[in-house]
Formats: sequence, structure tokens, C-alpha cells
Amino acid sequence: MKIPAYSTIRLVLDEGIGLLELNSPPSNAMNMEFFREFGEALYFISLCGEFRALIISGHGRHYSSGADVPVLLKEINENAVTDKTGKLLHIPDFLSKNYESFLLLESLSIPVISAIRGVCLGSALELALFSHFRLCGEEAVFGLPEASFNLAPGLGGMYKLCSMSGLAFALERVLKGSTFSAEDALNHGIVDKVVPKKVLIQAAYDFARQVMQDFRVEKRGLYIKKYLS
Amino acid sequence: MIHLNDSMETINKISWEIRNDIGILTLDNPPENYLFQPDFVPLDTLKKWTSYDYLKGIMICGAGKHFSGGGKLENLFRMIRDREDINEKMGKGKAVLEHIENLDIPVIAAIQGICFGGGLEIALASHIRICAENALFAFPEVNQGVIPGLGGTVRSYMKSGFPRAMKLILSGDMINAEDAQEMHLVDFIVNKHKVFDHSFTFLQKLTRDRPLTVINAVMKALKNARSLSMEEAMKEETRIFCELAVAEARRRNGSGKQ
Repeated sequence: MKIPAYSTIRLVLDEGIGLLELNSPPSNAMNMEFFREFGEALYFISLCGEFRALIISGHGRHYSSGADVPVLLKEINENAVTDKTGKLLHIPDFLSKNYESFLLLESLSIPVISAIRGVCLGSALELALFSHFRLCGEEAVFGLPEASFNLAPGLGGMYKLCSMSGLAFALERVLKGSTFSAEDALNHGIVDKVVPKKVLIQAAYDFARQVMQDFRVEKRGLYIKKYLS
Repeated sequence: MIHLNDSMETINKISWEIRNDIGILTLDNPPENYLFQPDFVPLDTLKKWTSYDYLKGIMICGAGKHFSGGGKLENLFRMIRDREDINEKMGKGKAVLEHIENLDIPVIAAIQGICFGGGLEIALASHIRICAENALFAFPEVNQGVIPGLGGTVRSYMKSGFPRAMKLILSGDMINAEDAQEMHLVDFIVNKHKVFDHSFTFLQKLTRDRPLTVINAVMKALKNARSLSMEEAMKEETRIFCELAVAEARRRNGSGKQ
């Protein structure tokens, strides 16, 4: 089956393992077009039948710097329906579609592995948190900086961080909006393995080949013990 | 916005004061800060204290060397002898802890010395626990033939998992700060002379650059993460984000559009 072409994503398939790269240089910011194409690509991957594992990474030096905030604010302001007091009556459809994409990603029956190098911020970290596994380079930088723009994470980042690393860590990181290191992420259960960045993609492919043999999401902990520790 | 120290209020050996925009609730019955009853502070009083609209965080601590030795079980047994409705009392105690847990500003328990029984129940209902290296934790209720009754069994299970919560509750044994951290019952261990300063500063750093709307939004979303299914929590998170985004977009535009 021919893989569609996208403008903000590179998708390749090799021996059953798909590599989806965020591709909006230099920092792979997630704009409106990315979210639209990402939803389409996921739909394609889930129906195509030839993907047995999926690796998500960023093209170039970074995973992604997250959503383009000014554009997002403009789109939301134009599409949100509020009453006279400013109370929200309807979430814009494109936002609902974004979190539905993340839920679809997590519900895929093939292993989804995020391979993270460079920055992984905001919505990009949320995307990574909805992958089944996370491998990262030693220099990777994580964060949910939304609060410093008077916002909050909006695509499940708070839910995931809280369930993975506990209330205190989530509360501190989200309210301060400060970044944290690969080591911190590993210690708080946010990434599963840290490797030198030069071998990151190779490590993700090796792990994909091992885990795709008999992948079942409820055995996540077992695969991590067996192949990543 | 800087507020001068409000005067201190006290009820049932529980004190309340506000410094800048942080509320300080002190278990004020030294040396062990024993609690008189399950609702150690009346819910109405607590609601009044925590309803100041400039409050950005709360620190709970004990006066002197200890956090709290918990409730005096003899008091509880006396209430039972006197045929007071113990179930109603416990219900009131649980409502107080639920109010603390559900506040949409961060609550830190600053713990030193002993943190037993009801004291530990209060700490577990807080959002963040910072303790001194010399802190000691226990659920000693089992030694008197009862169990933690204000949600402590559930909250310790949620944080530590079944085997470790079972051991803590069934043995009644004391554990030290390190073990408590290992069990996820505390989040940070600090020098024993610095618990209050550290906790207070931590709260200030967490909240000082953030408007109350953002703090409330984050706390609400994190509460949903504990109480709703993932799908519901995500939908709410997106809704909360969207409300903040609309407000921020309008703030940046300098005008409102409806």
C-alpha cells in the first residue's frame, strides 16, 4: 500500500516498523496542519494493516517544541463559543479531534515508541506520553511550559504526568512550567530508558523488533524489564 | 499583591494565619499536637478560612517539634461509651479531609517529628508532603483494635500499593522519612531545621508568578486525574485549557469578543 505524502510529517515503513517523524524544521513546532495530518496518518496506520510497530520521533535535532501558541490562541478565540460572561459553551472541533488522535494513538494494537532527542515540550510531551514506550537521548529536555503563558496543558498532559509520576511532581512541573532533564524523567517514570543520542533511533528499532513479536499493552512493564533495563 | 499578616485565629487548638498569600494551618496542641476529634477543625471554620480569594496556597504544620500524634483514641472510645454517634463524627472528619484534598490551591504538609494516625491522615490528604529527615510515620490504630478511619487506608493504598500499605496498617510499626519516601508517602526530605522555611518558600515559588485562574485550573485538572476516567479527565482538561486560552487570547487582543 502506498504511504500518503504529508507536508509536516515524514512517514516511512521498513520491515513492518513505521517511523513517523515530526517535520517542521527547525524545532518541529506542532501547527494546525500538523495536527490535521497527524490524525490522518494515524488513521492510515491503523487501517493499513502493514504496520507492526510505530516509532515517533522528530526530524533533525529535536523531537518538538510543541504547539505554536499564538496561532493556537487565535484559532481557539475564533472558534470557541462562549456566553456573555465568557463561559465556554463549546470546545472547537479541531481541539476535540486533537485529543481524540492521542486516544487513538494509545489504543493502537501495535507498539508505539517515542524516540526523543532535543526538546520535547508542551503538546509534544503530551504526544510522547500517549505513546506506549519512551526512549530518550541523554541531552533531551522535557517540560510543560503552558502555565508560563497563562495556560495549562490541554491534551492529557496533566492527566498522564499525574498518573505516571504522582501529584507532587505533576503539580510542581506544571505550575512552575520549568523544564526537566532525561535523568529526572527516568527517575519519575516518565521515560523508560535513556541512551546516548547517536544510538537513539537504532535502539528504538531494536526495541521495536523485540516487542512487536507478541505485543500486548498490559504487558508494558514486562517488556521494559525484559528489554530496557 | 502583598497583604500584611492577618491576625491569628484559633479554634480547638488549631491556629490559622495568612502570610502574604499563603495560609498556615497549625496543629497547635504541643508537644504532640494531639487532635481532639475526627473533625479536628470544624468544616465551616475551615471553609471560611480557606475562602479568601487572594489565597494561593496552604501549609499545614505542627507547633513545636512534632507534626501530630493523631487523635487520642481514649477520647474516641469515651465518645462511643457516651453513645455519641461515632459514625457521624467520623463522617465529619472525612468531610474535613476531603475539603482539604479538593481545594483548588496547592496544600503542603510540612512534617517533622511524629506524624501518626490522624496526623498521617491529614498529611495524606494534602497535595505535597515535605518532611524532616527525623520525621516518623505510623498508623498505630491496629494496636487498639481499630484501623485508620478517615480515608487513610485508601490514600495510603493509592500511594504505596497494596503490599506496602497493608504492612504499614496491619503492623502498626513506625517508619522513618527515607522509608516513607520510598513508599511514596512523602515527596521531599529536607534538613530538620528547615522544614517550615523550605515548605513555605516552595509554595511561594510554585505560585508567585501565576494568576489564581491558572492555579485553580491546574488543581482542577489534577483532581480530575485522580477521580475521573481517562477519557473524561482528558475532555475536561481540554475544556479547561480552552477556557484559559479564550481568556488569554482576549487579554492579548486587549478586548473581548462574545
